[in-house]
Amino acid sequence: MTTLVTVQDVAKDFRLDGGGHYLALKGIDLDIRKGEFISLIGHSGCGKSTLLNMIAGLDLPSGGTVLLEGETIKRPGPDKMVVFQNYSLLPWLTVRENIALAVDEVMPDLSKAEREAVVEDHITMVGLAHAAHKPPLQLSGGMRQRVAIARALAIKPKLLLLDEPFGALDALTRGNLQEKLMQICNENELTAVMVTHDVDEAVLLSDRIVMLTNGPGSKIGGILEVDIPRPRQRLEVVHHPSYYSLRSEIIYFLNRQKRVKQWQAKPHKVLARHGLEKVNLDLGFIPLVASAPLAVAEAKGFFTKHGLDAVQLVRETSWRGITDGLLDRTLDAALMPSGMPTWITAGGHGGDPTPIVTALTLSRNGNGITLARRLAEQGVSNVADYRDYLLRTNREPHTMGIVHPASMHNLLLRYWLASNAINPDRDVHLQTLPPAQMLADLKDGSIDGYCVGEPWNVRADREGHGFPIAGDLEIWSGHPGKVLGAREDWAMAYPNTHIALTKALLEACRYCANPAHRDELSELLSDRRYLGMKAELIRFGMESASEEIREASGHTLFFGAGVNRPSRSEHLWIISQLARWSEIPFPRNYVEILERVCAVGVYSTAARELGLDDVSYQRGGIELFDGVPFNAEDPIGYLNTLSIHQDFSVAEIPIGVPRALAS
Amino acid sequence: MTPVPSSKINPPNWWKQNRKAILPPIFGIGGFLLFWQLSSSLGLTKLEGPLSLWTDERTRELLLYPFFDNGGLDKGLFLHTMSSLSRVAIGYSLAAVIGIGIGIAVGLNKGLNRAFDPLFQFLRMVAPLAWVPIALVMFQQNQPAAIFVIFITSIWPILINTAEGVRQIPQDYRNVALVLQMSNRRFFTKILIPSTLPYIFTGLRISIGLAWLAIIAAEIVMPGTPGIGYFIWDANQNGYVSEIVLGVIWIGAIGLILDRLMAWLQTRIASGR
Repeated sequence: MTTLVTVQDVAKDFRLDGGGHYLALKGIDLDIRKGEFISLIGHSGCGKSTLLNMIAGLDLPSGGTVLLEGETIKRPGPDKMVVFQNYSLLPWLTVRENIALAVDEVMPDLSKAEREAVVEDHITMVGLAHAAHKPPLQLSGGMRQRVAIARALAIKPKLLLLDEPFGALDALTRGNLQEKLMQICNENELTAVMVTHDVDEAVLLSDRIVMLTNGPGSKIGGILEVDIPRPRQRLEVVHHPSYYSLRSEIIYFLNRQKRVKQWQAKPHKVLARHGLEKVNLDLGFIPLVASAPLAVAEAKGFFTKHGLDAVQLVRETSWRGITDGLLDRTLDAALMPSGMPTWITAGGHGGDPTPIVTALTLSRNGNGITLARRLAEQGVSNVADYRDYLLRTNREPHTMGIVHPASMHNLLLRYWLASNAINPDRDVHLQTLPPAQMLADLKDGSIDGYCVGEPWNVRADREGHGFPIAGDLEIWSGHPGKVLGAREDWAMAYPNTHIALTKALLEACRYCANPAHRDELSELLSDRRYLGMKAELIRFGMESASEEIREASGHTLFFGAGVNRPSRSEHLWIISQLARWSEIPFPRNYVEILERVCAVGVYSTAARELGLDDVSYQRGGIELFDGVPFNAEDPIGYLNTLSIHQDFSVAEIPIGVPRALAS
Repeated sequence: MTPVPSSKINPPNWWKQNRKAILPPIFGIGGFLLFWQLSSSLGLTKLEGPLSLWTDERTRELLLYPFFDNGGLDKGLFLHTMSSLSRVAIGYSLAAVIGIGIGIAVGLNKGLNRAFDPLFQFLRMVAPLAWVPIALVMFQQNQPAAIFVIFITSIWPILINTAEGVRQIPQDYRNVALVLQMSNRRFFTKILIPSTLPYIFTGLRISIGLAWLAIIAAEIVMPGTPGIGYFIWDANQNGYVSEIVLGVIWIGAIGLILDRLMAWLQTRIASGR
């Protein structure tokens, strides 16, 4: 497809009345192909309308150029017709006269009769024949917008520009008009750019969604391709597998923008007190049973006890939010999957390798693999049955849910599948989904199963949508679950804070591990600030109703011999598995990475100061359920002995020299 | 369509529906006249009461015979009014044409607006009476001077409202013209004029009142021209108080009719869109 509009390095600087400047947009690059429908989405004030106006020629960029078919757009014109948010119909003309005004202006070469025919065609196209003689003020908002669309289409623009066209309409009218617009665009192969703040509208209508970051100096934060085939039906697109991931991608983006804005609005002075370099900490977590130590440390005052009297727990909805929060420093430290420190350090998130340290393992076990109930109905009761089932139905897509590529769920599920001769990349498709979404997908049959932490296995079983097929105890009992992670430069800038944080959380872990506190924990976590769900659904494995679930979900360990100390060999196992599935290249400098990721010194200091030296000792070697020992001396050799793996590469990861955050 | 209740006037019903609109003004005006009559009967004021319009023979004649014409300045009140009205018509029409023209120019051009707005605001404040000597010096003749006084008094609301109307053309309409690449002429006829029309009519309505007010000032100081203003001036010179009162009532009534007329035109043309 050929390019119709090219936006090259466009910037827009507004001169303010007070004499200042406001840089609305900066460095915008975008190619719009012929026949494409593009949505611009972002928070208010992100400059999306400004960008649209510059494409329309109503506004000129202060830097860069906008080209239409290779020619610079210098002024507005009928070839790039705009449908304005408030319709912009002339109230002293009737519907017909409004459209005729545009047609007469733009098509003077046609005969009068031909022009009239064009007008009537377009009135009929938007279904307003009965109202053609009425002035716009006698029409409803939806009808007026249809007139505006008819007027725009009647002059056959090369490019249709829509500025929040349905923003002022009620939901029902909006839905009908969206379908109408979609139909018209399909039939006329229109190229369109639409500004919207409605996520569903963007996904429904667009081929690509351009997400803009907050101003000042808004940039394109990401472009999503919508791979839902056309023609689309409003009620059916929601069932397309991509729909929710696209939707959640946009919502994640918008929430992230909002969080950054809120964070920027607060003062962020480093508060040093009680001999600690920083006591005001933002700690990220996502609502999971494994976040119990953070909740306890807050509720039971362990943070305050160790001098951290201004700790704030920041609830994120996804691990991606945690990653981004650490990378853009809106978070000081966070609860994270045990694979994440090495994954970010090795650049698995797709950005620059950024050293992350972990001084504490917060939980072990607590995960399970659940398959959909409908598989049980087809006779699947163990992994061999599942393999047969996959062979039998290999024409159908099989999707399993994981929460994050760097989580143990991904690594354990892949290990378990591969050891049972199921290729996790070819025989099934693993998709990253938010846990709550997994349950819904399991219910409507779009995924076969998932590997996730509690309470999602218990809930699937209780609600009758799934059954546990393997618990983590039988895959790798005592595997690391969640860890405390922070940027290395942060940890080096605030070493005593890091130790105090580790102490507070280690004490909280000990509190969580006491079986006498279980009910209290469930109650605490059920609070809206943490998990926000019913206390009876928050279980830690041991008290589960049925024997099966206890087996499957395993017993979450928070504290005990060898539980909390960061283990280099475990992280090496994780690195090798991440490399096995090509999430990261295998780092040639893995020894250095392990040395820097595992803050064993911080842990030892914290444990010694708490008088807990006895629990800190190292466990034995790593061996999973298949009996293949992990050779920590020769990880590459180990990888080569495995029969199922991706084509992994070995590379030096440039992580520089350790450097403290400049204050 | 719901059936319209019988269009023939049904007196009890008609009265029921309309009494709220009719009774208060009757009470209000009647009460005022009563108060006036009483206060002059009781000697609170030297001004004669409204009844004197009828009891005084001169005014009774004038009331009964508005159309007589004895030549010269000895005419009936209707004929005086007509010559005043024709003068107002000329001055007001000139004010409308020139006011709308300048208003559009000033509304479209920020520079012009900055240059002339202080001047307009200044001239607007000058009382009609103050223009009379200037007008006489300028034109040396009564008739053009009177028309000029009417013109200069009534132009400002038209001019200022028109300019404001042009400035208030919604950006949306301007954008439509921009996107369609309308020519200036088409913009003027298709967008500017229709969009500004309500403002222009507001100005016109305010101005008609001012123009009529200015007639007294214009004619009072220009003896020898027939007109309602001269009529009052003449009565004053001769000490006929009842005649003055009668003249004032004529002026008020004509002013009221002119205003209603403009209001009716305004709803017909400007808001019917």
